[in-house]
Amino acid sequence: MDGIVEFFRTAPIPPEVFSPSLGLIILLPLLGAFVCGVFGKWLGRANVHLVACSAIAGAFVLSLMAFWATSDAAGGRVVSMPNAFGLDRDVVRYAIAHDYGTWFAAGDFRVNFGLLVDHLSGILLLVITGVGFLIHLYSTSYMEHDDGYWRFFAYLNLFVAAMLTLVMADNLVLLFVGWEGVGMASYLLIGFWYTDSAKAWAGRKAFVTNRIGDFAFLIGTFLLILTVSAFNRQADARDYAVAGTSRARYEQGLSEKGPVTFKGLEKMALALPEGMGGAVSLETPIEAGPLSGYTFGGVMTATMLLFLLGAAGKSAQLPLYVWLPDAMAGPTPVSALIHAATMVTAGVYLFCRMSSLLVLSPTAMATIAIVGALTSLLAALIAFAQDDIKKVLAYSTVSQLGIMFMGVGMGVFWAAALHLVTHACFKACLFLGAGSVMHGNGDETDIKKLGGLWKEQKWTHATFLVSTLAITGIIPLSGFFSKDAVFHGVHHNHLHELHWVSGLVYALGLVITACTAFYMSRVYLLTFTGRRSPEAKVAHAHESAWHMTLPLVILAFLSIVTLVYALPLMPRSGGGFQPVFENFLSPVLRPAEAVARTAKTVALDTSSPAFVDYLIAWMVALSGGATAAFLYLKFFPAQVGKPVPAFARAVRRTAQNKFYVDELYEFILIRPVKFVAFILFRVVDALVIDTVLVRGTAYVTEKVGFGLRRLQTGDAQAYAAIMALAILGGAVYALLQVLS
Amino acid sequence: MSFFDTHLLNVVIYLPLVFAALVLMLPSTEHGQVRTITFVGMLLDLVFGVWAYFRFEPSGAEFQMEFRVPWFQQFGMSYHLGVDGLAVSLLLLTVFLGPLVVLASTTYIQHRIKEFHLALLVLQTTMLGALASMDVLLFYIFFEAMLIPMYLMVGVWGAEDRRMAAVKFFLYTLVGSLLMLVAIVALYFVSGAPGTRSFDYGTLYNNLLGANQQLAACASGPEGACASLTGLAATLHTYGPWMFAAFALAFAIKVPMWPVHTWLPDAHVQAPVAGSMILAGVMLKMGTYGFWRFAIPLFPVAAQAARPFLAVLAVIGIVYGALMCLAQRDIKKLIAYSSVSHLGYCMLGLLAVTSEGATGSAYQMLNHGVSTGALFLLFGFLYERRHTRLMSDYGGIAKVMPVFTAAFVIITFSSVAVPGTNGFIGEFLVLMGTFKSTLPLGFGAFATLGVILGAAYMLWMVQKVFFGGITHRENQHLRDMNIREMLTTAPFIVLVAVMGLMPQPFLDRLAPSTDRYVARASVGAPGALQAKDDQLRVEVMSLPSTAAAARPSVPAAPLAARE
Repeated sequence: MDGIVEFFRTAPIPPEVFSPSLGLIILLPLLGAFVCGVFGKWLGRANVHLVACSAIAGAFVLSLMAFWATSDAAGGRVVSMPNAFGLDRDVVRYAIAHDYGTWFAAGDFRVNFGLLVDHLSGILLLVITGVGFLIHLYSTSYMEHDDGYWRFFAYLNLFVAAMLTLVMADNLVLLFVGWEGVGMASYLLIGFWYTDSAKAWAGRKAFVTNRIGDFAFLIGTFLLILTVSAFNRQADARDYAVAGTSRARYEQGLSEKGPVTFKGLEKMALALPEGMGGAVSLETPIEAGPLSGYTFGGVMTATMLLFLLGAAGKSAQLPLYVWLPDAMAGPTPVSALIHAATMVTAGVYLFCRMSSLLVLSPTAMATIAIVGALTSLLAALIAFAQDDIKKVLAYSTVSQLGIMFMGVGMGVFWAAALHLVTHACFKACLFLGAGSVMHGNGDETDIKKLGGLWKEQKWTHATFLVSTLAITGIIPLSGFFSKDAVFHGVHHNHLHELHWVSGLVYALGLVITACTAFYMSRVYLLTFTGRRSPEAKVAHAHESAWHMTLPLVILAFLSIVTLVYALPLMPRSGGGFQPVFENFLSPVLRPAEAVARTAKTVALDTSSPAFVDYLIAWMVALSGGATAAFLYLKFFPAQVGKPVPAFARAVRRTAQNKFYVDELYEFILIRPVKFVAFILFRVVDALVIDTVLVRGTAYVTEKVGFGLRRLQTGDAQAYAAIMALAILGGAVYALLQVLS
Repeated sequence: MSFFDTHLLNVVIYLPLVFAALVLMLPSTEHGQVRTITFVGMLLDLVFGVWAYFRFEPSGAEFQMEFRVPWFQQFGMSYHLGVDGLAVSLLLLTVFLGPLVVLASTTYIQHRIKEFHLALLVLQTTMLGALASMDVLLFYIFFEAMLIPMYLMVGVWGAEDRRMAAVKFFLYTLVGSLLMLVAIVALYFVSGAPGTRSFDYGTLYNNLLGANQQLAACASGPEGACASLTGLAATLHTYGPWMFAAFALAFAIKVPMWPVHTWLPDAHVQAPVAGSMILAGVMLKMGTYGFWRFAIPLFPVAAQAARPFLAVLAVIGIVYGALMCLAQRDIKKLIAYSSVSHLGYCMLGLLAVTSEGATGSAYQMLNHGVSTGALFLLFGFLYERRHTRLMSDYGGIAKVMPVFTAAFVIITFSSVAVPGTNGFIGEFLVLMGTFKSTLPLGFGAFATLGVILGAAYMLWMVQKVFFGGITHRENQHLRDMNIREMLTTAPFIVLVAVMGLMPQPFLDRLAPSTDRYVARASVGAPGALQAKDDQLRVEVMSLPSTAAAARPSVPAAPLAARE
């Protein structure tokens, strides 16, 4: 037994040897993208598949090495790296990093190409490259009839490279490179079949909506930069001491790594709460600079709310979720990889990464939790009435992301991250299953026109069933444990002065659980059970090739075994046991806990869910599923042919039309902007400025010239007459002056 | 001292003129030779320009590669060249565009080919001259001379409405610069006693510096404190704002800032592809360069007073330009209005007066030259094939021109400042500089709106032109880019990536100049940390006396006296 433990705790490549190669994890997919994109046409299909898949496989192997290295404890010495912002004895444990030097610097600002892998980014590396590889494999079969295969794999590799940059970045600006990079790749992939105008529009909609989020992200970043400089100006020795650093070290860190490095921000977060005194606390007003007059706490709340808007763009939360359902226009593997497993979870990752800053502001946390809960509920309700299998899954993604946001907002970061991981497995499985269904049924996506597939697509059916049970939250599957971990934390964590949020969000969570069970059961029942619909495109569906079923099986397997993470097997420091994943992430989340303890902004709960909690959640899920089963197996089949009440039709139509949110945005936002642009162009630019002012000047000059030209008649008599008149006038004037 | 130690800038500036003379000697029917000679000239100029760029030592003196000889001494003029970090960077941009512009015009220009290339070469000389001039009057001469070849380019080789656009462009910019000439002459007369006056930038700036510092001190003092000023400071107190206004108007028209921007869409739309590329790539930067070099450092107090006003105009330019793009049907007009928006960022960065903002502004000038230059270039290829500028005449082009589409989309991402491309570095630094500056937070927030709108209009245009089904039969058989066109586009795409991922070599050359710009502009800011004198004063080489200049040819002693 000890031998096994020793094996797993000794990285095959020692961390200090491996860390300079971290960049390779990003470079491999980038190289793959370059080769496929530039030479793909000449390489041919098989070579492109080989290049693209091996690039991701290589990145996966390297990620595995990196992950292993972050848990290295060879010879009893835990892997650690020096913290550039802390004192010499202050090291970051369970993390490896490498700094490739300056990206750009101006004034006292600088950004480095710094990569960091700790347990949080390590597990995400595995998810991205692991699920990414399976989806690449799946795509080799799914895209076998498409001429743009080389473009597809180039974009897909590009996406993986950007996503890896996002999770490995050790500062906000480099993270933003990945953040926008995945948005760009997503734009290209949604609009992959660009000859269909609607699909290309969907890509643009996704990019522009994301840009609204990025707008907030950028402003949030700038506010953080300002806060760091204000903090550094006002803090005294005690503040630095609380955070385990000193002014000299902190300033050295700033000048070496720049102000937006996560480790530096963490130090500021540790020093801000009123712990052991010090010149700076959350209530301290900022003295100088552009933010003067605001308190540190107020600025932090504003910053976090801006990041919430940024994360809402990427992770499809209210009010910016509208792009995600449309993004289903892309090929199905893309939906699985980008719009379910990886990119859309970037917002959750961002908040986990900045957890120590987030816990400074209970207001922002409550907002995040409530936004998450409302989004989740709304999306679940819309999913009730969607008939497109991919659309249902898209709304279910929005809904599940809402659950993760609830967890992040209430401070159960580890559970949100765990749900991110399990969700990546079962949702990717669901999407790939849907893709397999489409592939075998002539690209039919309407669940009303499918049915009875369980006989014809056995593997797809089995894996779809497993992942449906996982997302619904049926007991031995990972989804049950991760979702319940989130809800338990949501229920028992309390935000300072905002206690009501816990109860509200928990109650909403139970409703969402029931809804999820309902619509997922509906999709499963309509697609796979019953009889084959007479409207089906092809008479008999065919099972997909092994390239497609193998990833399905692996993902279904993973969505079962990841439940281990949620089991309370590890000893807790204060006695008792804690879930494996909480223990696993504790090196990353410890600063956040420390901040929450001293700032007293959120009371973090450490109890394990009781049996009753499990029972309630399970019953709720079962009731949702049972309702769906009753309705779609018994009730509706019996109602066929009978008239539907007007009320029911209206409800269904509203839900089907997504509560008219898109139309609302069109009406209150897009049309006014277009109208203002048009009016400004026609009236201000073309009429007022160009015609009246510019051409007007020319016109007046010309007319004056014309007028004066009439005086130049060349007639000596006329000149003489004018001269005489002028002299006469002058004489009269002089006379009048003299007389008066 | 080799020849190039003193004359490198002269070589860079006048090499195109030498080749213009060669072109002039060719018979006008020899189109191939005219094009080749021009291209070789531009290429050679690029080599020397790159050499000058690498010779520039970031840690060295402010102005390098100086060259100064007496010239019209009666007027206080001298022939004085020299470049600082910004000028040498813009110089690099100019010589970079030179050969590409020639390549881009190979099939575009079909009549009066010899004259066109002459205009191109002369234009290159005037632009390079304006960037390297250290004498204000010399700068003015080059600045005005630029108009003539550009006027011809728009007026002779332009599209259907070329004459109106050319006249509008010429008169519009001339109005501003004539006022500037008045201000230059006035400045010359107030700057010192007879005998100490000079049009030289260094002398002029140093003469004004003391007065500006006095003026700044009293301007931040109690009301009416400035009434007791005497001498130059009093003159500057009364007339400084007017002189600043004259300079600012001339440069604002050139930038162009809102609301004096309406010449730009017309000129861009009508100009041939070469004209649009140079106009967007280099000539607009003359406006921001003028603010940076002349208007703001010479009148820091007046500039400080006008700063909120100008910053408001810059932010309006960013948002308004972007909104204009959303209302366009004409692709070239859309790109032209996007220039208004991008140049708004440059101006905002300058007016932020922080080193981040100024660096971002300078970098954005280079970026805009690359990305907008490339957009005009690529659209020029499309225009050659279809001879229409309306978006509705395209649609679904991606199917028939995949390589072209890929290039266009990459440049589009650069234009909307996706991180990893050059555009991001400039825009990020400008916005951060604005947030860090003493301008209220709203300026930064409104300017950041451009991030959303930029994506909205550029992707809208890409969508309309490239995606969807092919809606017009004429577009079905468009041919994709040929080798020449790919070779012309490739340098732009390489630069987009290089400047996005490795900006530091470029920023290093800009850094000393931005520090000095910020120090000089802060002279007028009340309560700002006053920089050290060596940051403020302009150190330039002194005018070699006539005797010294002539010395090498005069024997040290009478020959007869030698042993």
